[in-house]
Amino acid sequence: MALIRVEDVFVAYGTPSRAVLAGINLEIEEGSFVCVLGQTGCGKSTLLRLVLGCEQAMRGRILIDGMEHPQPDPSRGYVPQKYSLFPDKSVLDNITFGPEVSEFGLFGRMTPAFFRRRRQLREVAREFIQRIGLRESDAAKYPHQLSGGMQQRVAIAQALIMRPRILLMDEAFSALDSGTRREMQGLVRTLWAETGTTVLFVTHNIDEALRLGTRVVVLAKEGPDAGSRVAMDLTVPDPCREEEIPELMRRLEDGVLQAG
Amino acid sequence: MSAGFFLIHAKPNRFWSAGLSWVLFVMSIGAYLWVSDARHRDNAEDRVTPTVAQMGAGMLKAVMEPAEEDEAAGEAHGWYDRVSRSMLWKDTRATARRFFFSLALLIPAVILGLHMGLFPFVGEFFLRFVLFFDKIVALSLLPILFIAFGIDELSKIMLIVIGVTPTIILDSFNLTKGVPPEQVVKAFTLGAGDFDVAYRVVLKQIAPRVLNSVRLNLKAVMLFLFAGEMIASTDGLAYRIALLRRHMGMDVIIPYVLWVALLLFLVDWGMRVLNRRLHPWFTEA
Repeated sequence: MALIRVEDVFVAYGTPSRAVLAGINLEIEEGSFVCVLGQTGCGKSTLLRLVLGCEQAMRGRILIDGMEHPQPDPSRGYVPQKYSLFPDKSVLDNITFGPEVSEFGLFGRMTPAFFRRRRQLREVAREFIQRIGLRESDAAKYPHQLSGGMQQRVAIAQALIMRPRILLMDEAFSALDSGTRREMQGLVRTLWAETGTTVLFVTHNIDEALRLGTRVVVLAKEGPDAGSRVAMDLTVPDPCREEEIPELMRRLEDGVLQAG
Repeated sequence: MSAGFFLIHAKPNRFWSAGLSWVLFVMSIGAYLWVSDARHRDNAEDRVTPTVAQMGAGMLKAVMEPAEEDEAAGEAHGWYDRVSRSMLWKDTRATARRFFFSLALLIPAVILGLHMGLFPFVGEFFLRFVLFFDKIVALSLLPILFIAFGIDELSKIMLIVIGVTPTIILDSFNLTKGVPPEQVVKAFTLGAGDFDVAYRVVLKQIAPRVLNSVRLNLKAVMLFLFAGEMIASTDGLAYRIALLRRHMGMDVIIPYVLWVALLLFLVDWGMRVLNRRLHPWFTEA
């Protein structure tokens, strides 16, 4: 059975209401890396927010492991484009925030057990800091002292320490320069292979979608006032060879343009 | 001087930037001394513009001797005893107590604003009422407060609370609304509960801005405090200023005004330092 099932999902915004998603059907297998590709305003972020549980579909439903989740919860990790780190916490505290907050309530922080556990968690967090390619000395820094790429690395570690079954990334690398973006893509692929997490990655960049995903889903509008549908669903050979990329890119470009 | 003396691209050097910022101070003090001197030459008994020596004597008396109403309390012994029974100390203590009590009452206001911003039902319940309340001119309520609560401490504190609380509530509400929604969603995906989000994520983030907003409202707190003290009080700095006005005690009024300004400046500066210490991550202004 598919881990994520999107069943005939319909969403419209505004008054008069305009359809954004018009009947999306998707099945996502556990352990896959799915990139959702589409032009600006095609509703790909809306789809992600629906899976996240911040928004509800007006029609249809989204099942995760057979259940509907009306609210964001720890089963789905989230890495947005920006504002993903808590500005008031150091890198180390940002990474340990998840386990700390989910294991101890507001007053549980005063017990000795909390401090013991926090020492363990900090060790784990330090390992993460090395794995994502930051230096030991970065642990005490605040997010505003890090570059955009470094911030996103920490945000990924922050999400992964919770071992979510699903990791949702919304244009996570779109604000980065192309060199940093390449490095981040490599990092995410490695972490994905190591952890076996199912990843849903929203992007508008075709090259990025091909380099990352094992499957690329293209969302596109059928007319100027119509909502988006799945215009193309492409399985990417794994590993995707460099010389195959231009050919796949052309196919995807055709798919996006024809539909739009 | 090629950039033009008064123009946007002008770059004043150290001499100019240090010098210019003090010119107005020197000019006002100079003007005062000149006027005072002229008036005293005209009439040696002038009370409107006391000389520096007169103000010094008046202030020394305020620091070293008890207020008129306390003179019966008996002779003071020693320097410490004299200062602690002095008029200035008594007034400062009375005003400071009301001031800090009012500041403490702003904490629930911040918490309420936070909850209004985060929990939609709480927001719907309070927002319209607070918006309405914010438009009431607090000083116009003064007679009602005196009638309802009497003229003791409670009505003065209530005046400050009614005058400043709505602003603080609305400010914290807006600051809470200004926290990016990504932060709240992220916290939930990391396993935080609703109150973890409220107190560990959002409150911690808005804290430095809230403190800044309280700093901006210190003036308002003092304004309401002084209004209350001037009209109905038996001690306090504003009470003294209002009392001395009756016998034109400008030799004490002017130093008192400067003393109040100095105290307020120190509180503001202290809060700024505290803010920087508590929130080293906070970058803007």
